[in-house]
Amino acid sequence: MKIYLSLMLLFPLFGAAISSLFGRKLPRRLVETIACAAVWGSFVCAFLAACTYRAPEKVTLGDWLSAFDLLAPLSLYLDPLSLSLAVMIGFVCGLIHVYSVFYMAKELDYARFFALLNLFVFAMLTLILAENLPLLYLGWEGVGFCSYLLIGFWYTDKRNADAGRKAFITTRVGDTALVIAVAWLFQLTGSLSITQLNGMAFLLPGGVITGIGLLLLVGAMGKSAQVPLMVWLPDAMAGPTPVSAMIHAATMVTAGVYLLARMFPLIGGSATVTAAVAVTGGVTAFYGASCALAQRDLKRVLAFSTISQIGYMMLGVGAGAITAATFHLLVHAFFKALLFLGAGCVISAMHHEQDIFKMGGLRRTLPLTFWCYLAGAACLAGLPFTGGFFSKDSILAALWLKGGGLYRGLYLLALLTALLTAFYSFRMVYLVFCGENGRPHVHAELKAMQWVLIPLALLGLFGGLLNLPDYLGGGFLNGFFARLSGGAAAEASHLEELALQGVASVLALAGLLAAHLRYGGKARAQRLKESALSSSALTMFLLNGWYFDRLYHAILIRPYQALSGVLWRRMDEGVIDDSLDRLAAGLGASGSWLGGWTTGRISVYIFSFAAGGALILGYLAWLTL
Amino acid sequence: MTFDFPILTLLILLPLCGSLLTLACRRSDLAARRVALFFALAELAVCAWICLASLPAAPAGAPAGFFLFEDAAWIERFGIRYTLGMDGVSLIMVFLTAFISAIAAVVSWKGITERIPLYFALLLALEAGIQGVFLSLDLFLFYLFWEAMLIPMFFLIGIWGHGRRIYSAVKFFLYTFFGSLLMLVAIISLYLMHGAQSGSYTFALGQLIHTSVPYGIGLWLYAAFLFAFAIKFPLFPLHTWLPDAHTDAPTAGSVILASLLLKTGAYALIRFGYPLFPEAARAFTPLLYVSAVIGISYGAWVAFAQEDMKRLVAYSSVSHMGFVALGIAAWSPVALSGALLQMVNHGVTTGALFALVGMLDERTHSRELATYGGVWGKAPVLAFFFLLFCMASAGVPGLNNFVGEFLVLVGTFRVSPAAAAGAFLGIVLTLVYTVRLVQEILFGKEKKPLALADLTLREGGILAVLAVVDVYLGVHPGPLLELMKTPIALLTGGK
Amino acid sequence: MTVPLYHVLILAATLFSLGLACVVAWRANVIMMLIGIEIMLNAVMLTFVGGSAQWGIADGQLFALMLMALTSAEVSLALAMVVYLHRRKRSVNTDDFDSMNG
Repeated sequence: MKIYLSLMLLFPLFGAAISSLFGRKLPRRLVETIACAAVWGSFVCAFLAACTYRAPEKVTLGDWLSAFDLLAPLSLYLDPLSLSLAVMIGFVCGLIHVYSVFYMAKELDYARFFALLNLFVFAMLTLILAENLPLLYLGWEGVGFCSYLLIGFWYTDKRNADAGRKAFITTRVGDTALVIAVAWLFQLTGSLSITQLNGMAFLLPGGVITGIGLLLLVGAMGKSAQVPLMVWLPDAMAGPTPVSAMIHAATMVTAGVYLLARMFPLIGGSATVTAAVAVTGGVTAFYGASCALAQRDLKRVLAFSTISQIGYMMLGVGAGAITAATFHLLVHAFFKALLFLGAGCVISAMHHEQDIFKMGGLRRTLPLTFWCYLAGAACLAGLPFTGGFFSKDSILAALWLKGGGLYRGLYLLALLTALLTAFYSFRMVYLVFCGENGRPHVHAELKAMQWVLIPLALLGLFGGLLNLPDYLGGGFLNGFFARLSGGAAAEASHLEELALQGVASVLALAGLLAAHLRYGGKARAQRLKESALSSSALTMFLLNGWYFDRLYHAILIRPYQALSGVLWRRMDEGVIDDSLDRLAAGLGASGSWLGGWTTGRISVYIFSFAAGGALILGYLAWLTL
Repeated sequence: MTFDFPILTLLILLPLCGSLLTLACRRSDLAARRVALFFALAELAVCAWICLASLPAAPAGAPAGFFLFEDAAWIERFGIRYTLGMDGVSLIMVFLTAFISAIAAVVSWKGITERIPLYFALLLALEAGIQGVFLSLDLFLFYLFWEAMLIPMFFLIGIWGHGRRIYSAVKFFLYTFFGSLLMLVAIISLYLMHGAQSGSYTFALGQLIHTSVPYGIGLWLYAAFLFAFAIKFPLFPLHTWLPDAHTDAPTAGSVILASLLLKTGAYALIRFGYPLFPEAARAFTPLLYVSAVIGISYGAWVAFAQEDMKRLVAYSSVSHMGFVALGIAAWSPVALSGALLQMVNHGVTTGALFALVGMLDERTHSRELATYGGVWGKAPVLAFFFLLFCMASAGVPGLNNFVGEFLVLVGTFRVSPAAAAGAFLGIVLTLVYTVRLVQEILFGKEKKPLALADLTLREGGILAVLAVVDVYLGVHPGPLLELMKTPIALLTGGK
Repeated sequence: MTVPLYHVLILAATLFSLGLACVVAWRANVIMMLIGIEIMLNAVMLTFVGGSAQWGIADGQLFALMLMALTSAEVSLALAMVVYLHRRKRSVNTDDFDSMNG
């Protein structure tokens, strides 16, 4: 097991090292091959680890930080949660690497691109597999760093670079909360090991657990783009599309969910924390879906839908249904990666046009992309019997079963969100693929890229098999995760479950119908005409993501910039330095004033000498008399 | 094996001899450079030998924890002795000094064009002074080296600097000198007090520790020490000499200033300040906390506003050294380990950043952020290193600064959550200015055509060595932590 | 009858004050200042001799002799400088020689 785990990490790390150090000297094909081989090698290791997996296992690879009683070795922990994620990451990232080879075929700086992709895979796997919190943080920051550079990959455009910076700094805000939680846990328990901490939950007072849970939640908010730290994700779409697929849809953004799931045994005991997680998730799910309704940029639609879907996962964690959340995380990774890669094909075919109102007609010209994309959209919308349907439904069911006013309310909110999701998914499909006005450019790379979509489409559609409801024979994940704390969800009766699924499917179909009525057939042309006109205030509100960007700009960024200048000019140079300069000038002036005595005239000197002598004599006389 | 060779004296004499020899190379500049580099490397080799050799754990007469010790009478009338000692902490600092000095010699290979022999002689003299500070165990000797460090640095800034170099050099000198005079007063008071109590007048640290100082007087004496060290650190609000000195110093001067001179303050606080006045130090801890926490955020915040790269990096030093101060203030084993690691890490990373800024400056003769842009496209290797060191400076884990900052934060949180809480803000603010630096220089479009060649072999070599150290310390700080374990346990009375 | 010591001392002090007053007041002429200095030195010599007579020890007289030698050397040097300065500046007023100001 140790060899699998270490190789799983070392392959991408070496790939990154080779590409970054020698990439510019090596032939292009070789760099691409190495990059892909590294990730697929990693996947094979994950797969082999899965085959030989028997029980949760802790593997120590080496020594990292050990200062007195603070111990943070390079140790990994393999349990169902990390294992399932590692396999998913290896597979999805492997596919995306292959896709990237074709997508970036014309890019000159391929070495940097593949080095960063490989480094990302390494960091992501470290995050997933880490056994202690500092190591997890290493992965956590590592993915943030790769995301920063990959968003700003085309750095000559200032907007791309700014988007990367925004992502890096916004997530750092959350990361800080994570570090505080780590420091606090160390203060309380003297341990940083995740397994040990999870076993110590009962030792800690409830208030402390709530505090730590909320800090971890803030950490998760940053990474997983939850309200109120979600502003970076839509802008992150400035990166190349494979990056968006890999980092900002399938893997990195779900790290927050993973963190909460991983620490759930510790923080799940606090009702406040679970409620806060659930509320965050519910609000974010609704926020993302509402914004996705009005977006015009294809990738931004998907970005907001990612925000919304991660909100669902958070809801699952908040409801205590770790299995459901992880199930949705896995299936979402497949279909969202599929949608992004499909979007990449579309964008590439449309000469890098991203406005969905300027697309159309791709159903006939890019049939393979269309069918795969349709499968992805169906999963996203939660049409019955797709993977997305089952996973989303398990979260809804968990919410319903949790009971209580808050969770019932969140259930209704989640249902409303499901309706919106179905609507915007098919709005996107109708606008992009139907109608006539597209003249795609089908090139050789595009044909190759399309093939990558097929396995993802199959996985998305049939992802439900991972965890079928009980009435269909029960799920694999349920059994696999049963031993995790929070893994065994509350059991619903078959009838109840069927009823819940019925409601969900009706809503999904209703959303599809609404989208068809508004954007399908002849209505589509009407909408295209409207889109050229100025939009209503509500549309603008949704299009701009509820104006959160402007809010943050006004209350955080501008004051920060202004104050930094004030601190420098007024405080540092104005007060501290100036007062010292003045002191120095004053001393100098008094010195030259005293120096004025040195006139050079002997008479003055002699007089001073005589006066001094007289003074001393007088003093001595005064002493003796 | 008994070990009689005075290797610590060698560590001080080697650069000093090198300095004199370099000065003798009046004819050939190349010879001067080579002699200087040779002596710097020889010093480094001696340090490496100390690390590798299995030295006896405790030589005769040495205080606990010291594995090299030299003691000889010097000015017996005043109880002044020539006492040098090396424990794990000194070894780390001495090694860092030798390493950075060698780097500094290579950095200034081409950049310095006037009075080359004198320049390199001063560089080596400076190294000798710093080594002396890190090795002395006699307060008088320590003070001597402490002042001796100032003189070469003063001339380095004043002669080979840029901009308002005289102003900056004088400012630097006055600031530090003022602090050290107060320290001298405190040293002499302590000396007299100890003499009056025990009858033996001595400057030896090991004996002065046992002086029983009345609490009130201890506060004043410690305040004088702290003031001197805080200026060197530099702690908020005594930091304003630093941006000026850094900005106007030649590249190697900035490197040594940031990497080594600032560390002497922190080192002296650990070696002399706390052990001599434990009670007073505890009383001053809140002040140190406040100053450190403000320094961390304030330095980062002001750094964000800078237009001059060198000034930006200089303010970042204020922020980073705030972490060191925080770890020392906490005075717990973990936090103190973190503070020491952070000293080394800051030395390597910030030194590298100054070297990089110097390289950019040599190419374009501008340090304004506004002139740069799109460097990545023009000089990818340089950009790679720039990014690496910036990320290290921002505390990205896997690179060295993270390790120190993390230990400091976690260790401090344990002792004083309130103080640590203030410092967490620094994590975000540090990233903000670092990313701005990266953004303005590496990314975007070229603002105006710059003659930006990529790194030469010499420059690439310097940066590669520093980068390897950065990554090594980031992923495997174990040996360093092991070295400092015994001294820290002795200092803090910890486990 | 011997002269009491304090009479000698009073005389010496008076002489010294006169010499000092001359030096301080008569600064228009370097020569006069030199004369004042001579008078002060003589006052000192008188003190030495008086002390020597009082305690019967020859040290004071010895010093007086040495002072005489010293004075003659000093005066010759000083006069040489005065001549030199006079050549350069055409003046013997001390206030004209102020180039050593701070």
